[in-house]
Amino acid sequence: MKSQQPLFHVIKREDSRPAQQLLAYVAAVVLALAVGAVLLAVQGVEPLTFYRQMITMGIPGSRYPWRAVENFIKLFVPLLIVSLALSLAFKMRFWNIGGEGQFIMGAFWAGVAGMLLGESLPQPVMVLAMALCGALGGGVYGVFVAALKVKWGTNETLLTLMLNYVALYFLQYFAETKAGWNFFLDPQSARPKFAKFPDNAQMITIPIGPFNLNLSLIVALVLCALIFGYLNYTKRGYEIAVVGDSPNTARYAGMKVGKIVIRTIFLSAALIGMAGALHVSSAGVMSASPTNDVGWTGIVVAWLAKLNTLGILLASVLITVLQFGCQTASSSYPSIDANFANLLQGVILFLVLAADFFTRFKLVLRSRKEAAR
Amino acid sequence: MEQQYAIEMRGICKSFGSVAANKDINLTVKPGEILALLGENGSGKTTLMNMLSGIYKPDSGMILVDGREVAINSPEDAKKLGIGMVHQHFKLVDVFSAADNIWLGDDKSGPVLKKDRFQVIGDMAKRFGFDIDPRKKVYNMAVSEKQTLEIVKVLYYGAQIIILDEPTAVLTVQETAKLFDVLRRMKESGHAIIIITHKLNEVLEISDRVAILRKGEYITTVDTATTDEQQLTEYMVGRKVKLNIDRPVVEKTRPLLEIRDLTIKNDEGALAIDKVNFYIRGGEILGVAGIAGCGQKELCEAIAGLRPIESGMMIHKGDNIVGLSPKAILEKGISMSFIPEDRLGMGLAPSMSITDNMLLKKYDQAKGPFVDRKTGREEAKQVVQDLEIVTPSTETPVRRLSGGNVQKVLLGREIKAGPNVIVTAYPVRGLDINSSYAIYDILNRQKKDGVGILFVGEDLDVMMDLCDKIMVLCHGRVMGVVHAHKTSKEELGLMMTGALDLTNKYEDKPAGIAKDSRIEEVEE
Repeated sequence: MKSQQPLFHVIKREDSRPAQQLLAYVAAVVLALAVGAVLLAVQGVEPLTFYRQMITMGIPGSRYPWRAVENFIKLFVPLLIVSLALSLAFKMRFWNIGGEGQFIMGAFWAGVAGMLLGESLPQPVMVLAMALCGALGGGVYGVFVAALKVKWGTNETLLTLMLNYVALYFLQYFAETKAGWNFFLDPQSARPKFAKFPDNAQMITIPIGPFNLNLSLIVALVLCALIFGYLNYTKRGYEIAVVGDSPNTARYAGMKVGKIVIRTIFLSAALIGMAGALHVSSAGVMSASPTNDVGWTGIVVAWLAKLNTLGILLASVLITVLQFGCQTASSSYPSIDANFANLLQGVILFLVLAADFFTRFKLVLRSRKEAAR
Repeated sequence: MEQQYAIEMRGICKSFGSVAANKDINLTVKPGEILALLGENGSGKTTLMNMLSGIYKPDSGMILVDGREVAINSPEDAKKLGIGMVHQHFKLVDVFSAADNIWLGDDKSGPVLKKDRFQVIGDMAKRFGFDIDPRKKVYNMAVSEKQTLEIVKVLYYGAQIIILDEPTAVLTVQETAKLFDVLRRMKESGHAIIIITHKLNEVLEISDRVAILRKGEYITTVDTATTDEQQLTEYMVGRKVKLNIDRPVVEKTRPLLEIRDLTIKNDEGALAIDKVNFYIRGGEILGVAGIAGCGQKELCEAIAGLRPIESGMMIHKGDNIVGLSPKAILEKGISMSFIPEDRLGMGLAPSMSITDNMLLKKYDQAKGPFVDRKTGREEAKQVVQDLEIVTPSTETPVRRLSGGNVQKVLLGREIKAGPNVIVTAYPVRGLDINSSYAIYDILNRQKKDGVGILFVGEDLDVMMDLCDKIMVLCHGRVMGVVHAHKTSKEELGLMMTGALDLTNKYEDKPAGIAKDSRIEEVEE
């Protein structure tokens, strides 16, 4: 019977210092890169070269280095805004996994505004109108689920998930239906194909030398600061924290929980919708699948950062470097494609979560002396 | 010494992280003996017993069953060794019948629900003298029936050593007496019994020996016949403690809160409170006694405005507060603190700091869009100091604090708000003697300041010492309001089960209605 003693115990750590935690995360990333290196080597790719290209995102030695930065920003901004918006909902323990759908709806309504009004309004007004339409479109799409939850206690996880597909096919209907009324499509093309937005509906860029700074980057960074303040210092942020922690307590403290849920989810979904609007406006053309999976990746970023606003900023930079860098680096190797980025991302996430476990718990081997007893 | 111990634990140690829950503990029980395991909260009683029942494994030390050293790695092993534990929170499947709950965990019964299972289990229960209906579904059972079922279950699995974790916490006086009869019968049939409790009178009544733990350390084991409450308390707390609860006499004012013909439904739509009348004066503590589920929770929630009422009036200082929002009721100075079973469910946000929890009811009063944490921090510091809350800092999340400190934070905030009526339910739930007395002191100080207090409690001894009057509820109806110093536990127990109804004892004056009520003025 004595031999049945287990080999080790899982013991909760008393205190984990932030420095220790950071070290564990770094170790996890290094380990993930090592796993990736093995996979690369198997496919005959020199891992160090690949990683160097990945981290520098192909900027040095490029004929158009600024172009790479501009493209990086186009990937980075939607991810940052969506992650921030999701953190609002998650902090309230509202499992909004409908980022994809809200993003698409934001993009769609921004597209409607852009196509119909793009010729008649000046560019600043037009871009603002698109952002607002997108925010409204995404917000209404999200608040619908929140209202059902508040009213009848429906499950928001299922509803937001399913509405993702509704939004996706809704947009595809417009992408693939060639008809006179469909103002989205290019009238010159015989096959259904999205038309470019009018010039005034294109995102504003601020030229700095050869580099064009995308205005949406500034918007995203300002949002980051605003949300940090909103969550940490305002009464509404406080309400979100209490509702998330214990709805019963919130009710007991006299808060109107339903109202808070609806308000916060509207805000969250509206920001996601706005991210969709900024994205299509930056791209200059609608797309049948505009999201680049930010609705999903945003969830990962938000949790990696433990819903900490500054952490989200950092995590979304890292994830974008990984995605964009992998994309550019893999373009120089025929055996590697962008899917490798997803694979590497998965390995990193898995190991970071494992590291998280080890910063909170430790395994203690049974000492030999004890086992011998 | 000639007799073999049923259980012997030698030098048991167990740590969680750097916290030593059990340090070098020795414990012995003989067959046919009842051992009481006594200790304050967090003294490691439950941890120790969980090692016997296979939920935890000791870091070091050894366990002997019938003189043989054993390793208990799982509840399965414990069952094979004849050790059965009745947990504080019952582990039963609500939608199953009594027999099925037993059948479910039986290795020998096989995968098929045989038709004779009701017969087999019914016979077995009768043999031990239990009164249970094997076909009854658990969700239809009263708490005491569920407990009986748990005991039958461990006996059916052939347990010779039975551990009961605070079995009387949920029972009325009469039910406790019945349980003790059962335990005595089991003892006569040669079972070894370990009973965890922190009620001293029960220890003295039922046990043969008492083992005492303090802060994870083994203090001593004494024969029950040679000890008394005072000595046991000293062992348990480590110093002399005054065991009397004060009941200061305060001049009473007119009724602050008056409840008239109040009817409330519970979540299932059944009547939870049925035409209840009572009042609370300033400077008095009105106790509410009743077995679990007799409507106390719904009553508290209704007063705080958290639950709609069916009919009736709630008059606070002459104003009807029916239909007001929780916030408006708070602003009138009625504070409610309900400590639910899990302690953190209502009234506190567990992952937020003490500071943030202080702000819970007043965050809205600050000007502008921002939360005023500075004031919150100052108040938190004050409350921590005044109520001697043990915490690393005011920014520590509340869930990291121990039970007693959590409850002090909650009460501290409620009192800080300067209420004139305090509704408090189970404020000492699960607390040890020291913390409980600290809370009684806090309530008494409020009472002296002229606050009216509604005290929903579970320990009748405490209520009879602390409260001025006690209202007894049974199935949502008032069974009477009695003076705490004139009543007896037996009387209260009978009222709680509905066997005694004092509401019409004095025809001229229905219980629960004040003579000098201002209610008539209101109606005009």
